[in-house]
Amino acid sequence: MPTKDEVFQKIQTALVDALGVDEEDVKPEATLVGDLGAESIDFLDIVFRLEKAFDIKIPRGELFPEDILTDSKYVQDGKVTEQGLSELRQRMPFANLDDFSKNPVVQDFGNLLTVADMCRFVEGKVEVTD
Amino acid sequence: MRFEGKTAVVTGGSRGIGRACVARLAREGARVALIYQSNQQAAESLVAELESAPGKVRALQADVRDLQRAHQLIDPLFEEWGHIDVLVNSAGIVRDGLLGAMTAEQWREVIETNLGGAFNYCHAVTQPMMMMRRGSIVNLSSTSAEFASRGQVNYAASKGGIDGLTRALAKELAPRNIRVNAVAPGMIETDMSQVVRGIAGDQIKKAIPLKRFGKPEEIAAVVAFLASDEAAYLTGQVLRVDGGLSLGGY
Repeated sequence: MPTKDEVFQKIQTALVDALGVDEEDVKPEATLVGDLGAESIDFLDIVFRLEKAFDIKIPRGELFPEDILTDSKYVQDGKVTEQGLSELRQRMPFANLDDFSKNPVVQDFGNLLTVADMCRFVEGKVEVTD
Repeated sequence: MRFEGKTAVVTGGSRGIGRACVARLAREGARVALIYQSNQQAAESLVAELESAPGKVRALQADVRDLQRAHQLIDPLFEEWGHIDVLVNSAGIVRDGLLGAMTAEQWREVIETNLGGAFNYCHAVTQPMMMMRRGSIVNLSSTSAEFASRGQVNYAASKGGIDGLTRALAKELAPRNIRVNAVAPGMIETDMSQVVRGIAGDQIKKAIPLKRFGKPEEIAAVVAFLASDEAAYLTGQVLRVDGGLSLGGY
């Protein structure tokens, strides 16, 4: 059973390997897109590495909900609709969507997800000790 | 040997062009898993034939239309080998007929095997190749994708799809040093083309500047080049290997 620190370290390693960033850049408050420069192919790479590191399965869209953000049912005029926000909240209980919800521009979504969010996501999938 | 220490998966590897690709890669040192659907005898005969080749060959049965099965084969291979360096998507079928008389099943079988099969195996090797930050995918297309033949709407559509898949996937995977290319053979001496060659062989030969059909080994040679590090700067391309058939003119 990993500790929260061990979860963070494995995520840090996965992000360093996937994004080619330095370890010191991978802080809990760092955003994946804004601070660490992740692009769509990187998200897939990150999911693969997390699956291997933690021996878990991450269904596509569970960590990075591209399917919601590209569905015309949930996005209109470049903004996520109320229905879309509701879907996002359901899909991403590990992330804080309050600020994003005030002005839910799709293109800004990338700056939402932080390393700390990823830690919470993994902690929700594996048993952790303090 | 170009593929010493490398590993390869070849779909449709028991016959025709796929068979020639398996042989070429194994003789150049690759460990090869050939995927066959139903011709176990042909698959096993190839494994036996390549017993003394530098690279080891194994035969695995699968219907390439099954995505889950693709992962069931590829994931353990990645665990065992530690890396998957080459994927050759050669599995393909024809179900010829004029469109107005074509059944939904004829259409679906060809699309799901030729194009769907390539999607499934590309899907399965993406994770291994991305984690290793290297890989080469070679898809078998056809000159039929661009130079139409009557009675092959389904086949032409599937191979046109292969061309599009090749280019789009090359763009996606380039940041991970994974190259994706296709070979578009013309008229090659395989079981698949023997009916057409029997009916219109002489007529077709007249249209080929090199005045002969191609051999599976000649296609395998180009596949091997694209799969190798010699083609390190080549991605997103569809290479026609057709004796000049597509040059047209007179």
